[in-house]
Amino acid sequence: MNDRLENLAKQLGTDAANRLDVEATARKVVERLREQPVRRIAWVQRTWLRIAAALVLVLGGAVVASRLTPGRRPGVSAHPAHLVADDLGDLSTDELRDVLATFDELISPDSVAVPEGSTDLHELDAQQLRAVLRSLEG
Amino acid sequence: MAQPHMVPAAHDTALIAAWQAGDEQAAAELVRRHARPLARFLASAGAPDSDVDDLVQETFIRAFRSVDRFRGQCQFRTWLLTIGGNVLKDFGRRAARRKVLPLDEAVRDVTGDPHEHAEAREAEAMLAAGLQQLPRLQREVFLLRAQQGLEYAEIAAALATTPGAARVHYHHAVRRLKEIVK
Repeated sequence: MNDRLENLAKQLGTDAANRLDVEATARKVVERLREQPVRRIAWVQRTWLRIAAALVLVLGGAVVASRLTPGRRPGVSAHPAHLVADDLGDLSTDELRDVLATFDELISPDSVAVPEGSTDLHELDAQQLRAVLRSLEG
Repeated sequence: MAQPHMVPAAHDTALIAAWQAGDEQAAAELVRRHARPLARFLASAGAPDSDVDDLVQETFIRAFRSVDRFRGQCQFRTWLLTIGGNVLKDFGRRAARRKVLPLDEAVRDVTGDPHEHAEAREAEAMLAAGLQQLPRLQREVFLLRAQQGLEYAEIAAALATTPGAARVHYHHAVRRLKEIVK
């Protein structure tokens, strides 16, 4: 059975091979090689163009995303203090404490500038709380 | 079973060197020597008859453009046949994208009155169809061994595998083909 398979395999494709015009094929191959000597340079150029286009897309996307994201605008700090500090004058003592409580969660306790002699924000009056918040603005 | 190579390797190597030095006739001579075995391999591996000519050309173009990578690890013809396998695979992908006749159906397309075909012819068609059902590596190992008469060591060098693995692929292919062609 193995011999039969091998004999059949040797017969496979013989028609196609016999139909092939070998001289014409050799001529066409040489012509194509002559016409397109090395496509490598074109390939390299195409590849670099694709890389450059991809970089432009990525950078452009990043710029657009940064402009669309709130608090990420150039020159504007993302720190929440700036979002509330504009209206500090309108806030009551309790509201100011709420804001500071939020900061407590966002900022480490060491970075909060508490006036000397005070250990608890609840002991501060409205003026002192405003001072603490403004100090957080940097 | 294995047949001696008709073309001495050294001769091919000299032609390759001449082509690399710019001798177009050396390239033409290499095409003359290997075009028919390549066509037979491609047709057996599933290339539609109408596309064999183009695929042979494409294989030679690809081989000549990357001949710097041929280090004599196997015969030039064996290396060429493996490139032909890649060309055929790419052709199959393009054909699938264009939704043209799949390769296996093209292979099965035996035209004419069945009564006019001899038994051997029918068996060939069955084998061709069976080959399309094999994994690519098994198919190529089978054809390189059974059709081209290559040794396992030569096949292994061309396909970047071991002679033992090539032998196993061949026997798996034979076992499956026997079930189809019996």
